Amino acid sequence: MPRAQSINQNPMPDTLPNCRSSGVVLRSVALLNAGVLGIALIQASSWSDALAYGLRGFALLEPVLFSVLLLLYLLQPRLSKLPYRQGATVVIAIAAMISLLFCVLWPAVYALTADNSYFDLTRSVLLGAGSSAVLLVYFRLWRQALSPALHEARLQALRARIRPHFLFNTLNAVLGIVRSQPKRAETALEDMSDLFRMAMEEGHDLTPLRKEIELARRYLALEEMRLGERLQLNWEIQPEAEAALVPPLLLQPLLENAVYHGIECLPQGGVIDVRISTNGRELVLEIANPHPEKRGDFKGHKIALDNIRERLALLFDVEARYQVDAARDHYRVRITVPYLLEA
Amino acid sequence: MVTPLRVFVVDDEPLARNRLRELLDDCAEALPLSLVGEAGNGLEALDKLSLTPADVVLVDIRMPQMDGIELAQHLNKFPQPPIIVFTTAYDVYAIQAFELHAVDYLLKPIRQARLLDTLNRVRLRAPLGGEVLQQLQPESRKYLAIHERGKILLIPIEEVLYLRAELKYVTVRTIQREYLTEESLTALEQEFASRFVRIHRNCLVAKAKIEGFERAMAGPGGEAHWTVKLKGLNETLPISRRQQSIVREFG
Repeated sequence: MPRAQSINQNPMPDTLPNCRSSGVVLRSVALLNAGVLGIALIQASSWSDALAYGLRGFALLEPVLFSVLLLLYLLQPRLSKLPYRQGATVVIAIAAMISLLFCVLWPAVYALTADNSYFDLTRSVLLGAGSSAVLLVYFRLWRQALSPALHEARLQALRARIRPHFLFNTLNAVLGIVRSQPKRAETALEDMSDLFRMAMEEGHDLTPLRKEIELARRYLALEEMRLGERLQLNWEIQPEAEAALVPPLLLQPLLENAVYHGIECLPQGGVIDVRISTNGRELVLEIANPHPEKRGDFKGHKIALDNIRERLALLFDVEARYQVDAARDHYRVRITVPYLLEA
Repeated sequence: MVTPLRVFVVDDEPLARNRLRELLDDCAEALPLSLVGEAGNGLEALDKLSLTPADVVLVDIRMPQMDGIELAQHLNKFPQPPIIVFTTAYDVYAIQAFELHAVDYLLKPIRQARLLDTLNRVRLRAPLGGEVLQQLQPESRKYLAIHERGKILLIPIEEVLYLRAELKYVTVRTIQREYLTEESLTALEQEFASRFVRIHRNCLVAKAKIEGFERAMAGPGGEAHWTVKLKGLNETLPISRRQQSIVREFG
């Protein structure tokens, strides 16, 4: 029977955690070691006891854990092609097998009760399979917890970047030149429709930076019409960087912040510096703007920034970095993401 | 023949002023009016309006340096305050406040019919009360506007060392010099309560500018009393007996 499905219901497909991402590796190592510590604490009867159990636990865990992670790292391209259920089964089987292998190859270390080898072997399989299954459940829940955020972030980004303030002021400015400079008004409306079209496009996960820069330029052309000489721009873009893939709508909301909280608040205006560079591994985007001296109120910046931070965390986990330098008279945002190229 | 309504426009965006100019032109057919001037910021507006008064001032809310609501507060202290109509593209909080206090405002992009309607209506209105403006902007002003020989000077409030009532005026003292204002010391004390402290019946000093306290003799054979020394100022100011507790509080 065909199932009725609203177009809004578009759940994210389950995917295996990417074992080549440092976030997944770090989380796995941290969680399993924490588990070992917990068990040590339960078993121990004194602090020195707990330390001894803990160290012994680490010594047993680490070789198995890192072997499993290494194997998963090597198999990642194949694993990622499997459907979730099959992939998860393979991961659990790998963990169980490696755990068993250690027990068979180094019984002196891993077979704890020499007289009951059957128990030892079964236990190693259960521990390997069990802990990997727990981790898989954890990563799945983690992704589910974040995925509505992706959806929400997208909606919010849409709202944040088409700031009503910008929309109505720009329309007002266009109306201000419609009679005296109809040609210029036409161009402005064309820019506006391009900007909105690009902004409303159904987003892919990643988009070429080139497109992001074009979107930013359309936006800035409109702000220049409104603010005149108060808005000065200084672009420094390394040519290799333009081919990089970035999350859509990364640049424009940052520039809008720079205009709204910086340039618009200064009677003489100022310069927005946009610097984009890459070292081949990472892409660095830096936007700096002057702003009037005041008692550090950066709340407005925060909404757009939180949104970008969340999307970066979802897409790149710990591989994206994000720095804000809010000084007395200037504001600087610096975003570092992995340098990815179009396939 | 009716005297034309004198209108003045304040907006930091040249194209927005352009638009209003054209709309006012259109309105002039239905309502006798004349655009007496326009300004791109608060100071320019105060300067021009003190020379050529207007009946109605259209004020953009969001402007650099001095926002529209503070500008309205200064305009309200004019001998004949104009009627203020705020303009804004989008400002949820301001609009809520305007509705609450029945303040006139126009949403950008402004429609000619709405502008004409508003201008017709406000002609009959009294200027906004100071209390209403205070409620629109609970923060105190950032400047004191000083009228001096036909010019208006804006003194940033953080540069003021002390305010002292003298006969008809209040002396405003900065490191550079003194200014006179007609505002009352009591009103200033209320508005800037967080910034100034009263040391004498006729004197408020900036808390942040207090350098120290000294004992001094009042005249020959007089009693010793406390005086306050302010940063960057050589003279000391006497503290009255009733306000002596501030020596302990700030000393």
